[in-house]
Amino acid sequence: MRALLFALVLLLFLPLFLSRYAVEVLTQGFILALFASAFNLVFFQLGLLSFGHAAFFGAGAYTAALLVTKAGWPYLGTLPAAVLVAALLALVIGFFSVRTSRIYFTMLTLAFAQLLWAVVHKWYAFTGGDNGIPGIPVGALAGSAKGLYYLALLLLLLGLAFLYALDRSPLGYALRAVRDNEARAEAVGLSPFALRLLGFVLSGALAGAAGFLQVAWQRSAFPDFLYWTKSAEAIIAAILGGSAHLLGPSLGALAFVELGAFVQARTEYWPLVLGLVLLFLVLFFPRGLVGLFGGRDARG
Amino acid sequence: MLEVREVTKAFGGFLALNRVSLSVERGRFHALVGPNGAGKTTLFNVIVGRYRPDGGEVRLKGRRIHHLPTPRIVRMGVGVSFQRAQAFLSMTARENVMLALLGLRGGVYRGRPLSRFRREAERAEELLGWVGLEKVADRVAAELPLGDLKRLDIAMSLAGDPELLLLDEPLAGLSRAERRQMMDFIERLLRRLKLTLLFTEHDTDAVLRLADRITVLHQGEVLAEGEPEAIKNDPRVVEAFLGGSHA
Repeated sequence: MRALLFALVLLLFLPLFLSRYAVEVLTQGFILALFASAFNLVFFQLGLLSFGHAAFFGAGAYTAALLVTKAGWPYLGTLPAAVLVAALLALVIGFFSVRTSRIYFTMLTLAFAQLLWAVVHKWYAFTGGDNGIPGIPVGALAGSAKGLYYLALLLLLLGLAFLYALDRSPLGYALRAVRDNEARAEAVGLSPFALRLLGFVLSGALAGAAGFLQVAWQRSAFPDFLYWTKSAEAIIAAILGGSAHLLGPSLGALAFVELGAFVQARTEYWPLVLGLVLLFLVLFFPRGLVGLFGGRDARG
Repeated sequence: MLEVREVTKAFGGFLALNRVSLSVERGRFHALVGPNGAGKTTLFNVIVGRYRPDGGEVRLKGRRIHHLPTPRIVRMGVGVSFQRAQAFLSMTARENVMLALLGLRGGVYRGRPLSRFRREAERAEELLGWVGLEKVADRVAAELPLGDLKRLDIAMSLAGDPELLLLDEPLAGLSRAERRQMMDFIERLLRRLKLTLLFTEHDTDAVLRLADRITVLHQGEVLAEGEPEAIKNDPRVVEAFLGGSHA
């Protein structure tokens, strides 16, 4: 607990001592941390590997981008809409996907996300196609490096607080019950379909909030936000940090972004380095960075 | 209490149940026996709503239930325990029972931490006491031996204060000594609670000792039904299923 408080105080004061570039890299880490934590709700609590979470990230981003550029909304005012649209999209995709399990769930979520990516990529009249939506005015707060840093940190902390409360609530237990033993869950009155769908929608909503932040970070929205490699980033961050711990995906995301920035400044072989790091962790520290630091796993 | 009428269930070309009927009266211990492949577990799964029958009907207290999903059926006063002891392995014994209590009363969609549900915690303590698991209440289910898991499974089945308890092979996988203990435990507990019981079991001794009435299934059909004494002395049953050991 003390270490967490220390980390929080450190994060609050860090921008005062860091360069603009370092603050921006950390902000990108917070955004990926929120996205990876959202993904991990489905991955760890429900035991399902979604390869389509980029769809919700992109839905949040494009909702914010389109409302600002086409409807003249203030950027910060688009957050509820971004979260809601991502949640509704998760409801539709989840309705068809959570009935299936294992590889079929993974393939269906990937297929839905790629379908949406193709639409966004080609619909020039509405989404700007492969040019995306550049030059989005995001206001003074989100437009400054430090302002966006604190906004991203705030949303990340709110997201983690929500996931922490969910983890300990009967609903969190019910989600894990469906993961542990579906037949037993039904025999104590739980509906696996309804619970999986609810977990998927909550996860999609959080991913939408991350997408909303990404728009301010890049002042743009691009089809790449919905591409499968974006989903892979969340998966890598969760595995890198340790999916069984609430803070694992955040730790993994920060490590992924910081390490990426460090290595990319020195060599073009970042994917090679990332592959080696992942191999090392999966083979020797299957609990991820949290395990490396001696953190105890959460439930399950 | 429970009526199964002319239930038929096929998987592809295989007829697992062929017009099976049985009636479980209130307060009785009814056994469903038969060799492997006789259709016991299929019938069990039809009754608890995991399989939909192709024909016939299942009634609970006069109400048709064969079209209902399992969560609806168990909330109507049916406790279910499966063949392989099933618990939520990532949770403690206490959390398993508390979740069962909340799940069976539709109370999982509440925001406060599970640990703050005092009434459910007290009730879970009581249920764990009934099955003799109060000392391992805070141990994670994955660490419990099979016998304890089976007791935990029964405690979870009792969480909804059922009138009818369905146990699918409650003694499977236990040693001889554990079987005797489990039989004593089931008989003592269920007679005290005045529950109606329908159970499947391979152990002939257990069936003859526990059951008030026995239905014998063979190749998906009812071969015989009656009091244990009559079944025990039925030459067809002795020949085909009891192996003559109790004849």
